[in-house]
Amino acid sequence: MPDDKQPAEPERGQAATVEGRYERIKAAEAARQALLTRPRFSFRTQIFLGFFLAFLFSFGIATSMVITIYLVENKMKFLEIASEYVTEIQQARRFEKNYFLYGTNLQDALEQVYLAKTILEKNSDELLRVAGDKRDSMIIPHLQRYEELLKRLAALESEPDSPRLNQKKKEIEMEVRQHGQEMVSFAQDVMTKEKESMARMVARSRNIHVLSFAVASIFMVYIAYFLGSSLLGTVNRFQGYAQRIAAGDFTPITPIRRFRDEFTELAITINQMLQELEAHEATLVQSHKMRAVGTLTAGVAHELNNPLNNITLTAHALLEDYREMNDDDRREMLGDLVNEAGRAQSIIKNLLDFARESGAQVEPLDLVALLKDTTHLAANQIKLSGIKMEFSATDNLPRVHGDAQQLQQVFLNLILNAMDASPKGGKIQVLVVPADEPNFVAVKIIDFGSGIPEHILGSIFDPFFTTKTKGKGTGLGLSVSQGIVAKHGGRIMVSSREGQGSTFSVVLPITTLPARIGGNMPRSGALS
Amino acid sequence: MSDTLEVLVLDDEPIVGKRLKPALAKVGCAVEVFDSPAAALARIAEKEFDVVVTDIRMDEIDGMQVLEAVNRKSLRTKVIMITGYAMMSLAREAMEKGAFDFIAKPFTPEDLREVIGRAAQALRSPAEPPSALAG
Repeated sequence: MPDDKQPAEPERGQAATVEGRYERIKAAEAARQALLTRPRFSFRTQIFLGFFLAFLFSFGIATSMVITIYLVENKMKFLEIASEYVTEIQQARRFEKNYFLYGTNLQDALEQVYLAKTILEKNSDELLRVAGDKRDSMIIPHLQRYEELLKRLAALESEPDSPRLNQKKKEIEMEVRQHGQEMVSFAQDVMTKEKESMARMVARSRNIHVLSFAVASIFMVYIAYFLGSSLLGTVNRFQGYAQRIAAGDFTPITPIRRFRDEFTELAITINQMLQELEAHEATLVQSHKMRAVGTLTAGVAHELNNPLNNITLTAHALLEDYREMNDDDRREMLGDLVNEAGRAQSIIKNLLDFARESGAQVEPLDLVALLKDTTHLAANQIKLSGIKMEFSATDNLPRVHGDAQQLQQVFLNLILNAMDASPKGGKIQVLVVPADEPNFVAVKIIDFGSGIPEHILGSIFDPFFTTKTKGKGTGLGLSVSQGIVAKHGGRIMVSSREGQGSTFSVVLPITTLPARIGGNMPRSGALS
Repeated sequence: MSDTLEVLVLDDEPIVGKRLKPALAKVGCAVEVFDSPAAALARIAEKEFDVVVTDIRMDEIDGMQVLEAVNRKSLRTKVIMITGYAMMSLAREAMEKGAFDFIAKPFTPEDLREVIGRAAQALRSPAEPPSALAG
């Protein structure tokens, strides 16, 4: 690694960390605001409103039904009275006719008229409603006149010697018949009208009920569908969020609908949880990295002994034999001292670069160079355990978009795992090749160790799953690695055969959107 | 046995041999220096040394294999192992396998001269078992 790169990096890393955190907090706050500023229209309100509307509707139908029944009842009562009245009148007329034809008693007819009159008087209000003005202008005058004429006839009957009796009788008969006729026909007319109106009312009420029932059914179905789909839709949406979060995407939830409801609080809580999760994940990634650093430290300490030993031996040789040496020997030894000091520095520099905490810095990466750095980082440790590492890469591979440190952590973890799995004197192969699917690059780390038994192959990426002895592994390495790779849009795959070794493949998407990278780069650059 | 002590120094760091050769020659040792384990093994097969100083961790062939080769050749030869700090367990294993002593990096020429001196003494009085020194 060139030396001039070093001083600029820590500042940039810290700036990116601060910027990254600030941006995440800003995004979460923006999402919170967006979620809360919408007008509230909760599901409770929606359900209440739906039921209230349904109730109002049913109440309307019931009321109209009661009113219709009441009206029909009234009409029926009136018809009963009217038919009683008509019967009385008709009876009276029959007696009247008998009187004229056979000279029978007129008193019976008069009695019927009194009865009819009583009916009219009793139901005078009803009559006013149905017949209106005609009650006073026609019905009552006709009846009164009819009664009067009958009374006159009766009076004539009581004095049979009266002159011109027959002629008078004839005159009255004409008028009596006329009024009788009018009375009956009018009463019948009113009855017919009332019957028709009742039939219309019943028909209308029936239509209204049928229609209301249809409308109510549609309304109920709509409300059920609307509430159901909006509730289920939201539940499904949140299921999608849960899946997304489980896959490692911690982008805050932003509002979709125009209104706030009970799910808004859930969304806000989830967003809070996401912030916490993100912080925890960052801590987890960092602590896992420090574990890897711890593992590497043994190798580094050992490797550091070589230049240190060379410096000690050379310095002592200089001290012992300084006088006997010529200038060239001295120069050579001093040169060795300088070189070995530089070597010591470069041994620890790699590890320190890797151990340094830095924020997410996404940039286009050359995977081959990254893997070379990583194998170099692990080289001391690997040499110490007597394992050989072979590295090969396809030339001119496209770059991938990612965070160098995090990906290096993933590869280092896989290499250290491969080292643990390898027997002494074994070898590890590291390949950087195009993946089987287009637009992806694969990094394969192959060991020829014990392999992974098939029954645990499915659980090796689970958190806290480990085959290492207590204290040696946390069981988080692969889980953390998978989280990092998933965030990069890639996958880790494993194939293993017991007794033959394992292959871990990290598949990462290549940068196909140069504009987006171009957009990101100056921003982090401007901060440095 | 002559006055000069026949010493072979093997370390894959060339500077070690370069500095140890004059430092040991000063105290009357005939020193042969190797930075390739294979070449050193070939030389060991040819010649019986009094003392073999070898680094434990090297590429290809490690110090334990050298120790075994020396033991096969001659049990008289004293083997001094150079170890890194992180390899104490390996050093103890070497002692069990019959190494004379070990010296941890980083060491001074004087440190090694002292151990070689003790080895020379042990060579002169072979009755004393080497394992006594280890304890």
